[in-house]
Amino acid sequence: MKKNGMLLAALAIAAAILLGVWMYFRPATTEGSKELDIQVVYEENSSKDFHVSTNAEYLGEALQEAALIEGEEGPFGMYITVVDGVAADDSLQQWWCITKDGEQVNTGADTTPVADGDCFEITLMTGY
Amino acid sequence: MAGLPNIEAVSLLLILYTLWVPKLTPLIVCAFILLEGVTYGFGVWWVNYLYTWPLLVFLTHLLRRNDSRIMWACFSGAFGLCYGALCSVPYAVVGGFYAGFSYWVSGIPFDLLHCCGNVALMLSLYKPLSRCLHMIGKSLDQSK
Repeated sequence: MKKNGMLLAALAIAAAILLGVWMYFRPATTEGSKELDIQVVYEENSSKDFHVSTNAEYLGEALQEAALIEGEEGPFGMYITVVDGVAADDSLQQWWCITKDGEQVNTGADTTPVADGDCFEITLMTGY
Repeated sequence: MAGLPNIEAVSLLLILYTLWVPKLTPLIVCAFILLEGVTYGFGVWWVNYLYTWPLLVFLTHLLRRNDSRIMWACFSGAFGLCYGALCSVPYAVVGGFYAGFSYWVSGIPFDLLHCCGNVALMLSLYKPLSRCLHMIGKSLDQSK
């Protein structure tokens, strides 16, 4: 019984440490107005550039305000389905990939913080 | 359960299969991993499956003499907590330490949910499923 209690306590402590790591290292948001550059890359590598002015703290909110994207709420947050009127085709395993300065972001659109001057690319990918 | 973030019964089932039908478990793991790839595509995430689930089976096998529901709930919960860190390895290999680290950190809230889900499922289903699998294991042994 005592051993079980210790196991549960150890698990709770490990979870608390993980929560602390996340609170400390998670990307910070900034308040105020921001200017964002967004490049949308469609099939066959054609692309279009957009400039977005926003007070939003997260990318998803900024892009929705600018009517650039449509998405649906999934278990892991917002899942982008349409960008600039172009829908990703599920049957072809297409999806929209967000990168920042060419680097993959590890957060969903609605949990990706934005700062003034940020450049994002949204690319239509095929294959999961 | 696909609508719930990181709440899954795979950990529970693989642990119980390893405990009660150990000879079938390697086949079950291989079939599961292959079917996931065929169904959802062979992306980077699939590389994680190649070692995370076999690792769970291996660790369960090492601890197989335990018969405490609480212990298995804690073990399954700990696996859930570690899952993001385990999955960050390919990203660290491809993109460097920072890429792997940021992947892990961004997924911590989901690891916490994973832990809670695994603990709850194990606590509630360990005994009834163990009874069923024990009977199945016995009948498989007798049929040989």
